[in-house]
Amino acid sequence: MASHGEYKTPGGKLVVVDLVVDDGRLQNVEVSGDFFLEPPEALTDIVRALEGAPAAASEAELAQRIQEQLRPDAELIGFDAASVAVAVRRAVTDGRPRERA
Amino acid sequence: MSDRAYEPNPWELLPRAEELRQRWLEHDWQLIREGPRPPEMHMALDEVLTYEVGRGARPATLRIWEWTQNAVILGRFQSVRNEVDPDGAAKHGVKVVRRITGGGAMFTEPQNAITYSLYAPESLVKGLSFVDSYAFMDDWVLEALRSMGVEAVYKPINDISSAQGKIGGAAQTRRGGAVLHHVMAAYDMNPATMLEVLRIGREKLSDKGSTSANKRVTPLREQTQMPRSAVLDRLVETFDRRYGLTEGAITAAELEAAERLARDKFLSDDWLYLLP
Repeated sequence: MASHGEYKTPGGKLVVVDLVVDDGRLQNVEVSGDFFLEPPEALTDIVRALEGAPAAASEAELAQRIQEQLRPDAELIGFDAASVAVAVRRAVTDGRPRERA
Repeated sequence: MSDRAYEPNPWELLPRAEELRQRWLEHDWQLIREGPRPPEMHMALDEVLTYEVGRGARPATLRIWEWTQNAVILGRFQSVRNEVDPDGAAKHGVKVVRRITGGGAMFTEPQNAITYSLYAPESLVKGLSFVDSYAFMDDWVLEALRSMGVEAVYKPINDISSAQGKIGGAAQTRRGGAVLHHVMAAYDMNPATMLEVLRIGREKLSDKGSTSANKRVTPLREQTQMPRSAVLDRLVETFDRRYGLTEGAITAAELEAAERLARDKFLSDDWLYLLP
């Protein structure tokens, strides 16, 4: 079942996570939102960090995984690894299925 | 000019603020103000002209956009499904395109939008943080808006705002040795249409607070009581007075490159549904 989580950062940017929990792991992770990220390809670093992560991982653990995978020159503007982690936890714990268009 | 006192933006408090102001004068700015183009061409021109400025083939440029049709411009990292109502978009003849910069979705109708891009060598914003460079790149716009009676201020990271509400949003990226800074502002708006086209107005308002497209927007028509073309004229005049501006045009080669990019990238499903 696809799950959806959102987190609005204190600066007002929205971080959205869509994923599937399969066999206790995060799968088909998609991270989107109205944040800024340079270089844009760094989005794949964030997704790679989350793909396959244990569904039980805490916010801190998820944020650390993201931090470790991010290329050194990545600049996250209006959000950070922790805000993505919050959106992931929301998707895992109370994520409504993604609305079908 | 206004005699009202405004809080300085963070970059204005830097020790080198004066040096930063002078940087604008190091460029022979060119103005491109031409007829309407389809949304995908605006996306493509922004990418092409950024790289042309970056490699020194084109001078620093201010481009004023005109539109052929209704459009939703998605930020680089937004999901189509999360932002756009396909039925509403179809009903209102809206073309959905994705831009190369981050930020939030904007819905525009041709006569309601005030849109422009700045392309400059990256040296213009060198040493400035991404956040500081937003207000820095729109300093002239704040002056122009204030001269029209709008008490415009910059709201970090990327909103141009006034006491009456949000006016517009900027997005920026640094690529190929250049900085691209583009702004979409509301000259007028049709909230009912917007709410049918964008999902954010409806679904995320209740528990998620405001998002880019539904922050209380008070359009410039109401705030200035001026025709749209006069508002654009004032923007151009202000820029010219501060930094100098020579009329120019998109070259045949740039146009051809943009047409190719519009077709192969910006109209492709691979790019539009990069985040489905």
